[in-house]
Formats: sequence, C-alpha cells, structure tokens
Amino acid sequence: MKFKILWARPIAVCFVVCLVGLAGHSPAWGASAPDQATAEQLKIAFISYANPQQVIEDIKPVVAYLEGRLRVPVKGFVTLDYGSSVESMRNGHTDVAFVDPLAFMMAHEQIGAIPLLLEVYPEGKPTYHSNVWVRRDSGLTKAEDLAGKTMAFADPVDMSGYLLPRDIFERKSLIDGVDRPDGGFFSRVYFAGGDEQAMRAVFNGFVDAAGVSQYAYLLLRPEERDQVIPIAQSIESPSHLVMCRPGLSDDIQRKLTQSLARLDISREEDKKILDKLYGVRGFVEAKMSDFSSVAPIAARYGFIKHPATFMSDAGK
Amino acid sequence: MATAHIIPPEELHPVAEAYRRCTFALNLNPVPWELVRQDVESIEHWLRTADADAADRFDSDYLAVLGNDDGGEDSSVEAPSTRERKRRAVFELCTRAVGRALLTALEEAIRVAPDRELARNHLNLSQAVLAAFADTLPYVDPEAYRILGKAFLSASDAIGSDGLMNHGGVSFDVPRFRSNLQTVAAYIRANFGDDFAAGPDAWLSPRPLASPTHRVRAVAPRRLPPGANLNKQLPRPRQILNMAARGVDESQTPLIALGDMAFDSAFIFGEPARSLAMSCNTCHNKGVTNPNFVVPGLSSRPGGMDVSNNFFTGHANNGHFDPLDIPDLRGIRFTAPYGRNGRFSSLREFVRNVIVNEFNGPEPDPILLDGIIAYMNEFDFLPNPHLNADGTLAASASDAARRGEAIFRRPFPQMADRSCATCHVPSANFVDHQRHDLGTVNGHEPYSMDRAMDTPTLLSSAYTAPYFHDGSQPTLRSVNEWFNTTFGLGLTEHDLSDLTAYVRTVGDGIDAYEDSVYYLDAEMEEFSFFLSAFEFLAEKNKPELMNATFQTIALEIRNHKWELQDYAHLPTMDALAELMDEAYEANQLGDWDRVVGSVEAYRRLYAANMEDLK
Repeated sequence: MKFKILWARPIAVCFVVCLVGLAGHSPAWGASAPDQATAEQLKIAFISYANPQQVIEDIKPVVAYLEGRLRVPVKGFVTLDYGSSVESMRNGHTDVAFVDPLAFMMAHEQIGAIPLLLEVYPEGKPTYHSNVWVRRDSGLTKAEDLAGKTMAFADPVDMSGYLLPRDIFERKSLIDGVDRPDGGFFSRVYFAGGDEQAMRAVFNGFVDAAGVSQYAYLLLRPEERDQVIPIAQSIESPSHLVMCRPGLSDDIQRKLTQSLARLDISREEDKKILDKLYGVRGFVEAKMSDFSSVAPIAARYGFIKHPATFMSDAGK
Repeated sequence: MATAHIIPPEELHPVAEAYRRCTFALNLNPVPWELVRQDVESIEHWLRTADADAADRFDSDYLAVLGNDDGGEDSSVEAPSTRERKRRAVFELCTRAVGRALLTALEEAIRVAPDRELARNHLNLSQAVLAAFADTLPYVDPEAYRILGKAFLSASDAIGSDGLMNHGGVSFDVPRFRSNLQTVAAYIRANFGDDFAAGPDAWLSPRPLASPTHRVRAVAPRRLPPGANLNKQLPRPRQILNMAARGVDESQTPLIALGDMAFDSAFIFGEPARSLAMSCNTCHNKGVTNPNFVVPGLSSRPGGMDVSNNFFTGHANNGHFDPLDIPDLRGIRFTAPYGRNGRFSSLREFVRNVIVNEFNGPEPDPILLDGIIAYMNEFDFLPNPHLNADGTLAASASDAARRGEAIFRRPFPQMADRSCATCHVPSANFVDHQRHDLGTVNGHEPYSMDRAMDTPTLLSSAYTAPYFHDGSQPTLRSVNEWFNTTFGLGLTEHDLSDLTAYVRTVGDGIDAYEDSVYYLDAEMEEFSFFLSAFEFLAEKNKPELMNATFQTIALEIRNHKWELQDYAHLPTMDALAELMDEAYEANQLGDWDRVVGSVEAYRRLYAANMEDLK
C-alpha cells in the first residue's frame, strides 16, 4: 500500500513524478541506512509524502527538536510505505514510526507495537472519516443513488481509501460480503492507485463516485475543489499515529509523547515543527480503545485476528 | 506561513510542461523563439531517453524548419508568412515528438508487465506525458478523453496490490492491463503519431483530427503557460488610501468603493483575462507593483509584461515584443503622464486603454471609470520621515544620504549641466512630468525618435525593484551605475554608495508591508466595502455594475476561501458566495426584492461571522 496524503499540506506533491523517480530505490531513505544506526540512537521512520529527498530535508528540524527534548541522538529516515516501516520495526531497525490505523493494528498483533500519539487534524479532532465523493453537477445526492454506477477506491489495502467508504454501503445493506463489490450494486469498481487518482477520476468524469478520505478533495487544485461534493460519510476512524516498538524504554516513550503532545500550533516555533510533521495541528496521547471503531472492520477483511484487543485499554 | 491562497503551479512532467509552454509561445506574435528553443530542447531530451532514433529525426527536422535562421535574433521583424510556416512546422514536430514519447512509455508499460512496480512507473509516466494534451482534449474530444481516462483507470486497477504485510494482495491482471494501454496507444498513434498535422485554426492546439468524436467547432479555453505566476507577494504591501488614513467611514465613499471593486474585478476585462481571474490588482497588488507576476513569452522577467500582445487582446497587438515593468501606482495622482512612455496625459484615458485594449474588456461605463479614478486618486506614497515637505532630506537622514543628496543635485556637464534632480524634482514628488530619451530604449532604427520614457517618481521606490521601463536594472545601485557609465559621470565607488544611500532614503517609507501573512479578514472587509456601493448603483440605475459587483465578490470569496485558517468556516464562505450568486441571478431576472434580500442577507451573515473568517 502506498502512502497517501491524508491532509494536504502546502507542499507540492506530484505522485506521478515521485513514483517514477523512485524506481529502483530501496524502500528506506536516509543519510545512512537505518540498520547502520547505533543502538543508542532513537530510530524514527517517517513516511514519504513526496520526493523522499525532500522529506529527508523536511524532517531535519523535527529530528533536531526531538534530540533537544529527549537528550538522545535521533536518527530519522524515510520509508515509502507503511509495510516497510513495520518490517523495519520487526527487524529491530526502527524504534518509532508514523503509520495509519490499519498498519498499527496489524503491527500490534504481529510485533506488539505500542500506540503513542494520534495526530490532530484541522477540525481539532484526532479522528477522520471517509466520504463518498461525486461531481457537484452529477445529480447524485445519496449512497443509494450509486446503484449501477461506477466507483473508484484508492487501494484494496487501505482503511480510508477502501474499507471505511465500503463500510458506508455495507451499513446500508447495499453491498455485503468481503469480495470486491464489482458487478452487483456498482456496475464497476476500480482501485485507482491512490486518493488523488480516485478524486481525479471523479472530477474528470471517468467514474461516478469515489470513496476516499474526507480530506482527499484537497488534493485537487483549489479551482477544482468546489466541483466535487460528499454525499455520504463513513464512521470516524482514529487518525494516523505514532507507534513504537515493544521494549522501547518507558522513559523514552514518555519523553517522546510529551515532546510531541506539547506542540502548540498557535506558537510560531511549534507550528514550524508541525508543518514538517505532515501539517497536523498537534498530537494527543493514543489509547488502544481509540481503535475500537475500526478494529471490527479490519478483522472482517482478515487484516487482524483479535479485534477485541482494541476494545479496551488493557493492551497498552 | 499561510500559503493556502497561493495558486500552486500545475505539476507537470517536464515533457508535458515544455510542450504546453512551447505551444503557447508558438501562438504569440512575435514568436519568442528563444523560449521555444529551450522547450524544444527539453522535449528532445525526453524523447531521446525514450527513442534515440526518433530524437535524431526530431533534431534534424527542427533544424530544417529553421533553415539558416537560428531562431530569430530579431523576431519582431519576421515576415508573417515566415512566422506562420515556421511556427506550424515546429508545433507539428513537437506534437509528434510528444506522441512518440507517450507511445514509448505505453509500450514499455506493456512490455514490463507483470513487474508490478515497473508497470506502475511506466503507467504513471504515460499519464504524466498525456497531460501535454490534457488542456485541450477534454474540450475538443470529451468522449475520447473519457475513454482514455477509463482505460488508464482500468489499467491501474489491473495492476493489483502487494497488500500490506503479506495480507490483502491482489494479483496483476496482465491481459487487462495491456489491453487498456493498447487502447490508449491506438488513439495516440492515430491522432498524434508521425502523420500529425496542425489543423486550420490560427490558434495552434493539439487537436485529434483523426478521431471520429473530435468536435471540430469546440474550443479549449486559453490558458497561461507553465511557469506563469499570477500569485501576489506576501506579506502584502501596505496600501494607503488617503480617505481611509484620514479616518473617513468607508460607507460614505461609494464611488471609491465602486472603483475598489472594479480594480479587483476580472469582470471588467474580456477574455481570456476574465476567465483567468485577472484584474488590475493582479499586477498592481494593493496598488503596488507585483514583483512575482510573470508569463513566459510575454514577460522578459518577473514583474513585467508586454501588454500589447495577441494573447490578451489580439486586435491591439503591436506585433513586437516590448515588455514593460509593472509600475507602482502609489501617489499616482501626482505622477502624470501615464504609461511608461507617458503616452497618456489623462489617467482616465490610460485606465480605459488598459481595460479595452490591453485586456479586451468592453467599453467601461463612465461611472465605472469615475470610480476607478476616484479609487486610484486615493493611493498615497509611503510616509517617509527622512524627507521634508520640500523634498530635502530631514535631519534624521544618514550622513551617506546627505553626501548622496549633494551628488543628486550636482549639475553634470556630461548631462548638459543637468542633475538627477532636474528630472526627479525633489519638491515635486521627484518627477518633472516630462519624457526623456536617456538611451534606455532601442529605437526602431538609428536616430529614431521613439525612445523617450516618462520620468518615474523615486518616492516609495525602495520597494518597487526592478527599475527602468523594462525592469532591466535590478537595484537602485545598478541604476546609478548605469547613469555613471552611460554618461561618464566619473563617480567613484564611494560616490555611488552615497548616491544609492540617498535614493534609497528617498524611496523608503514607514511600514512598507503588512505585518501578517494572514489577511483573509482584511479581504472580507474589503468585499463588504465593495458592496457598500450597492445603494449608489441602485440610485444611478446601474444593474450591470451591480452584476459586476456581485460576480466579483462571489469569485473573490471562492478564490480566497482556501486561506481560511480554520476550514470549519468554509460553509460560511460558500454561503456568502452563494448569496452573491443569488443577487446576480435575481438582478438578471429583474427581481429587485430578491436582489435587496440577498444583499441584506449577505451583510447580516458577514456581520455575524466576521470574527471567524480569517
């Protein structure tokens, strides 16, 4: 699964050029490979949202900030997808990673990853949802109107770009089962390859609707955004998060959590850090129960086996 | 940093970017051949990575088109027939080259399947190159464009997924992937292959003439080329309106409000400026030079443009490239004549010319012109504590500036015993209201008399770089060096430093820029000011000017709403814009009660939410 922009920041993003430019590179980018870092270093995997070299530049002030607060050397590096981050953590090369809820839940089950902080999005909440988007001039006004229509999702392994928007139709009993919903309620389903591609497919009239993040419209150009509207909304999902490997010292966990949670967007110096951290408004401490809404969905599709783990905070 | 209001450049693959810019340039008269050459080289570079043989043929064909002409050192004298032949030939070559590059990418994608990563890369590359034609195809062949889009979508879908951590993977449907890309390739080969020829249209564009669904009469909207930047400087320059600075309640100045609206309105212009949302304010942000403004092919450098071109107004093109630096409008009521060459003694005539002949607008209503002039006459220079009322330096000026002032006022025999102050009269806002030929302009022939330029004021000039009518001097220092060299004034480095210190002191001012990069609240307040002219326009029975007001406010709100620091208030911005839409529609129908109701509703909604709209 490729990372997708959850919240569009003032950063020029060109998936096409980036992906072409990434051909042949290893999945981890940094001044040196993460496995060359010393044991004393705190190794943090940042996910790439643009050209990885640009991301490496962007994270430098974040790394400097954390080093100053944690009083330990911090090594930041960039991975191209969540799977690489989790694998790196599994192999002991990563202590901390920025991931989405689905990757976290899988990482928790498989390697015991611990949730530390949830990102806070522009509406001030550590949650987000997915929407079903249509063209404003389409005449489509509700999920039921999409019977016999074409639908784009981002990726089959994507919480906000497939599982959550799909859930909208399941809750309305418009689709069922776990198979790709082609040829039934929808005349045709496409996995476009990302949020932006799915939104552009709607904008350009290649499909009737797209099921992606509530913020995906920001991936369109400003003059294009008003031409798409949401007609249905999913349940709320916890936001993307910061997780750490099991065994990371409680002291580092506490300091890291405090360092990021204290960032206040109203302070100019903190805003500069947050702008580099995916443009979020802040962080709040994460609990296992934050994932109770999405764990059953992940379990339904076999991504996790024990959703009950996420129903209380006992596991953290 | 608030940047959401900035219109980001469209991200294009280099070959698509070069093709679109090159096509734009080939449609200009005169053709900026140097710009074309750069983009041709870029296209050739990318074509070579895809197909070296095709790149060799492209090279030789391009050279054959140019013949002995290296691209036109003096394209302004190019004969129309020569220009037409060359530009069509180059356009056809470039279109075929992009078509070839696209076909190669598609063929590679087909070849590398089922390697998922490589196939995805080549698929993405193909879509990125197709963007070269995507400013035209949706308009002239929408059916085919949808088929191509669905084919790419289906191909992307066919690639499947690796899954996450060994779960949820979807296999690669190679036959479907290839079949979809072959559909795209067939269309490209048929329409933009080796047989591509430009159609009969005067405005060149990549029309798919072989497509059965091609709409011959459809026209794609004209766009600015990649590299164009209409974004304004941040923080905003501080605008000083005389009446506002004196504390006048803005609700009492409806004519000025009308002028402010018109100054910000794309609707007083014609196409294509109107659809590009350009207004006076685009170039003269808050009445001050916008140093960011640039349009490749029409600008020689940022902060200027050739305003007599065939893109914005075909009928008023003067046929030669003569870009002008965007003038600062501060204190404009003191700086007649107008236009860099002082061709208009009246500001009113100058403004009318901008609207009608530079930006293709309809003949403006006299009241509209009155409003714009009333508004512009309120523009004041920045206050400058280092100047006395007679233009002499105040006691607070530096010693260097004082030494520079002496040089500034010193007659030079090399300048016929004139001094800098002869033309930049300190006691008269540093202008003499004259035109002079200083040798900054290349005339149409030796000894020609078409080279005089208006004396610009030096007030507030520290913030209006670059300098000279064509922006050819980047700094005040370089201006002084130019005079020293051109007239052999014999000034030493020390003298030049002093003179520059003086000019910089004269051109200085208090608080040249606003202290925040967040200004949505100020914009929203200004839109209310626009609307304060409503009752005046009603009294004068000017429904068309009301429409321009409603449309301008609605457009401005929609353009600015992405500046909101809290997007939770987007619905309020939308509602305000929709009330202006409603007022416009009601006015069109003559439903006066609904017009008034919409305006009042706008005022109430804004008043109730003004604290949040920032």
